Amino acid sequence: MALTITCPICGKRNGYEFRYGGEEKGPRPDEAGLTPEAWCDYVHMNNCVAGVQEEWWFHKDGCGSWFKIHRDTTTNLEIEQTEATE
Amino acid sequence: MKEIQRVSPVVLKGTPVKTEKRDNWDVVLEYSGETEGPVIVDLSHKPRFDLQDGNVGEKKPFGFDLPQTPGQSVFEKGILANRMNGTQVSLYNLAGGEDTPDDPGITDVTEATLFIALIGKEVFSICEKLSALDFEDPNREVPFLFQGPFSHVPCQIVTLCKDGDNSGVVLTCSRGYGRDMIHSILDAGKEFGLAPAGENRFSDWIKSL
Amino acid sequence: MNRFNHLPTLKVDSASKIAFVYKGKKYYGAKGDTIATALFANGIRIFSRSLKYHRPRGLYSLDGECSNTCMEVDGIPNVRCENTLLKDGMVIKEQNVKGSAQNDMMGFIDKLDWMMPAGFYYNTMHKPAKIWPIAMKQIRKAAGLGTLSPDFDMPGRYDEIYPTADVVIIGGGPAGMTAAIEAGKKGLRVILMESRPWLGGCFEYRSREYQNRQTLNERAHQLANEVNALDNIRVFTHTSAVGVYNNNLVTGFQIGQEEDPFTERYLEIRATSIVVAAGCIERPLIFDHNERPGVMQAACALRLAKTYGILPGKKAVFSVGHDFGLEAAIELHDLGLPIACIADIREDGQDPFLMKRIQAKNIPFHKGWVANTTHGQKEVKAVTLSGIDGLITKKVNCDLLVASAGMTPVTGHITVNQGKLCYDSHTNFFLPKEMPEKMHAAGTLLGLTDPVSIETSGKLAGLKAAFDCENCSIKDIGDAKKELEALPGPARGSKLVTAPVQGRKSFICFDEDTTIKNIKQAIDKGFDVPELIKRFTSAGTGPGQGGIPGHNLPLYVAKYQALQDISIKPTTVRPPLVPTGISTYAGTNHKMFKITPMDDMQRKDGGIFRNIGVWQRARYFSSDLSCKKEIENVRSNVGMLDGSTLGKFRIHGPDALKALQRVYVSDMSKVKEGRIKYSAMCNDDGCVIDDGVVVKQGENDYYFTTSTGRAGQTVEWIRYHTRYDGWDFSLVNLTDSMGVINLSGPNARKVLEKVVDIDVSNEAFGFSEYKAFKIQDTIPVKAMRLGFVGELSYELHVPSSYMKAVWLMLKDAGQEFNIQNFGVEAQNVLRMEKCHIILGQESEQRTNLLDVGLGFLWDRSKTDTKTVGTVALRQAESDQSRFRLVGFEMENNGRAPRDGSLIVDTKVRGYVCTARDSFSMNKAVGMALVEAPLADIGTRLEIFEDECGDERIYGKVVKMPFYDPSGQRMKM
Repeated sequence: MALTITCPICGKRNGYEFRYGGEEKGPRPDEAGLTPEAWCDYVHMNNCVAGVQEEWWFHKDGCGSWFKIHRDTTTNLEIEQTEATE
Repeated sequence: MKEIQRVSPVVLKGTPVKTEKRDNWDVVLEYSGETEGPVIVDLSHKPRFDLQDGNVGEKKPFGFDLPQTPGQSVFEKGILANRMNGTQVSLYNLAGGEDTPDDPGITDVTEATLFIALIGKEVFSICEKLSALDFEDPNREVPFLFQGPFSHVPCQIVTLCKDGDNSGVVLTCSRGYGRDMIHSILDAGKEFGLAPAGENRFSDWIKSL
Repeated sequence: MNRFNHLPTLKVDSASKIAFVYKGKKYYGAKGDTIATALFANGIRIFSRSLKYHRPRGLYSLDGECSNTCMEVDGIPNVRCENTLLKDGMVIKEQNVKGSAQNDMMGFIDKLDWMMPAGFYYNTMHKPAKIWPIAMKQIRKAAGLGTLSPDFDMPGRYDEIYPTADVVIIGGGPAGMTAAIEAGKKGLRVILMESRPWLGGCFEYRSREYQNRQTLNERAHQLANEVNALDNIRVFTHTSAVGVYNNNLVTGFQIGQEEDPFTERYLEIRATSIVVAAGCIERPLIFDHNERPGVMQAACALRLAKTYGILPGKKAVFSVGHDFGLEAAIELHDLGLPIACIADIREDGQDPFLMKRIQAKNIPFHKGWVANTTHGQKEVKAVTLSGIDGLITKKVNCDLLVASAGMTPVTGHITVNQGKLCYDSHTNFFLPKEMPEKMHAAGTLLGLTDPVSIETSGKLAGLKAAFDCENCSIKDIGDAKKELEALPGPARGSKLVTAPVQGRKSFICFDEDTTIKNIKQAIDKGFDVPELIKRFTSAGTGPGQGGIPGHNLPLYVAKYQALQDISIKPTTVRPPLVPTGISTYAGTNHKMFKITPMDDMQRKDGGIFRNIGVWQRARYFSSDLSCKKEIENVRSNVGMLDGSTLGKFRIHGPDALKALQRVYVSDMSKVKEGRIKYSAMCNDDGCVIDDGVVVKQGENDYYFTTSTGRAGQTVEWIRYHTRYDGWDFSLVNLTDSMGVINLSGPNARKVLEKVVDIDVSNEAFGFSEYKAFKIQDTIPVKAMRLGFVGELSYELHVPSSYMKAVWLMLKDAGQEFNIQNFGVEAQNVLRMEKCHIILGQESEQRTNLLDVGLGFLWDRSKTDTKTVGTVALRQAESDQSRFRLVGFEMENNGRAPRDGSLIVDTKVRGYVCTARDSFSMNKAVGMALVEAPLADIGTRLEIFEDECGDERIYGKVVKMPFYDPSGQRMKM
């Protein structure tokens, strides 16, 4: 309830306006030669950092954009600036 | 053959005294016993468009420059243009008229939403019962756009005036929420005497801005 | 009782009469009374009985720190009467008593306390295990608070409000008001929250001089006027802040006055900066029988007289540890309360000015003395005082013992926001070591007692808050800091909390009847820190939210263990800091559902509606929930279904096709104009999440549908899976823009051709084709020939505002065929007979595209697009351990199993997705997901239904679809 997310379009808003999109892992890997394990790791394995993590959020109740923020998972507070994808 | 009749998602209790047939809509111009106090006006018949384009900032669908910064709105030539994000602008034709701009990036979304105006000095007191958004942010110049939850439903809300008695906002949200959104706004506005008014009241207000 | 009526500090209108009923008898209070003060004014001293021992309890504080004044008011149990304003006609009852609070037949339990040491439940009630259920019933009968019937409906109007503020100030006392004025003068939007019905805090009820002959009371009014003069300060009185969270989110609730449109309302405010000026509560003094009615705190006694006009007793003894206690004694003495003596815990350090006045009034004064025990059957009749070493004692008759060890800062708002407390030996307070970001403390909670210091600390905090809002210079803050440093600092706090007693009847927590002896027992058993003691003895877990044990518990624990330094912390405080009704949290609770453009007409036609996701949809059109008539009508005639909830989207722009290719498993470049393409979307595991149709409206311009449940996430999904690509495409959600009517049945064409001008013959408008046209040159329609229910069928997408008109036209045209509505359940059976799947019903999270037999949609040739899900599909293709979707029919004309029944042998082998007694087939059929070895035609399926015990029902795998396998009917 208390979480805030700073949307690059709409500014700082209540966290319940957003949906979490997972850790930043980079674009999907090339399919050629991809082992099931490597694919599974890409899709399901997370770093679960205790500290600052780069992650994706979607502003579902607002402007409808995906963007990344840095959040300290130990305090649940955003840090630094956000980057827009659009 | 029966006359074709369009139906608004907004149903307001009140007795219309002046109505007008427009593009198959029955537009209420005035209700009997309209009050001074805060009013709600159904504008769902006013044409609305979604414009999306990679270079949306350079477009001039109605002949004037669109707002360049997300959250910013421009009201010109009867058109309220609201910059939603980097590639998208919503256009509300407050003056009426049936022209759809000729641009492949334009989608007519008149049918997708309900559209109302809330006018009067208590408007923000009503809004703060339904939304945590700051519709009278002193740091923003009117008109400005909010995209966010209002009574738990994602809405576009444009503050057109935050100046005492003349205060007012327009709001759109998914048309399907019509019944429940109007119910919750009227419920929140009850203590302030929120009552329906016809389109004339809105037109006068718009002219005064 | 005569009440004062001319004191400037009064908040009651002594002349007014408010009638209420207490224990069935009519009483009168004054306007402005709380329930507790009205009862007190009527001579009532015993308000309740305690939770465990049924000891009599009376008025102790006036701020709701304990359950002493909890009663049932107008049917609502556990109302804290000392905080609740009296209203005309209130009906008040006692709770948790057998008989009355005055004469409680359960009072004997107090004598049995030796049987109930700390943790006695844990030690005694579990051997043999059978005892507990019996004992529990008896304990529940004897112990507890009010009771609530399960069908109780909370009366009143509950509202919510989300105001905006730059600065929130918690506490409307002198420090809070000064902070508000300072921040307000900077032009910031300020919200001031005060839990009492008026501003003023600890200044409001005191007549001591502030400066230049102005009293504290007058000063409070002056500050309140300054606050009210600033438009940008919003004052919420009778409003408690109950939570403070990350990023300065403050929650609270306001109690409505009689003229307010709400009973209570929930507040939620996101502030840039917060000032906490919540003040202090009094620190309870612990001695034997320290909660006997007649014992009360100093501010309670003083406020009873000065705020409510009631003299708290006939003869008083004071046992205090701070100058405020002396001040209260002097004021009450001047108002006519005879004072037998004052015992001050402190050997020295008293304010000389107050001492001079006490001497002048000839009040006996004992330094280094403390109340040791009170006497009396139910109420205080006498008190034994002793030196703080306990060596000498003296008994004094009195009916009022004002007892107070000192002050305890109200730090809950700071600690719930992750502020850490640290013991301060000068004040004997636990004070915030470091404040949370953008939160500032001010006033008496810092230990300040000098009125000007209190205000100046508020000024400093207000400026700091303004600085957080980028509205104040460092210099201003520096000046205020210097100003504060020049003024008297925090007062020295008395160290003694517990009189020299054994503690068998010395209560550290009133709510839970926890004594000093219990604490010792807990420590002796090894539970040696407050958090453990709290759990073992339940001290601080009652309705007072730990107000009474609060900081006494860690102080006593440190003392009993003779700790060198007090590193022990008070127990964790959690929101809500003040008990809050669930009804208040629920607020107005507007139900927000979507309705379709045909909602109204369908309701008039007898539709039975259900909430399905965000929508309300017509599920049935008669009370026959098997929908026999609806189904037969579609199979043999023509029916109409409201399909408006389908997700509908336009995608356009230079990269629109690429985006479709990414999320759909089929090759979307093959979508031809005028034709419908059915396809599906998978997630990264190859599990199918959505299906729908796509039509091409132009180059890189498509219209597509999604299932109802996915409509809200479609834009999000497509944007997510293209977020690294920088593609230029646009999505428009048209879900609500168009109503959808599904016109189905062999007579569908005959109805439609009467309404539209285009040729709808099978040759001109064949199966799987798409047409856009206008009805009467006015209504634009997108029409698709689909066959979801397995009959000739047209899906008409019509602008929502025109939907009613088209609906009426179709009804009109269909009248000669007796056209009927059909609902979601009928559609469910119809499509099941045809083995057309519904995602979420024939699939769950683990079900992939191949499992449900939709593998034919997957185009393996488009490898360069990185289609979502195909990597996993390729890996799953050779996996024999996956479930398969099969059709089955029941053996021996048996009934259909319930949806979700399990397919078993010695293990669970699958489950039934949908099964119905099919009228079209004249037998029970269904679809199930089963392990591959059971998927062969003819395999017998053993079906286990919930609650069916050892009984099994049996079906066998048959070919799909059940109905019209050649598909002639939907293509006719």
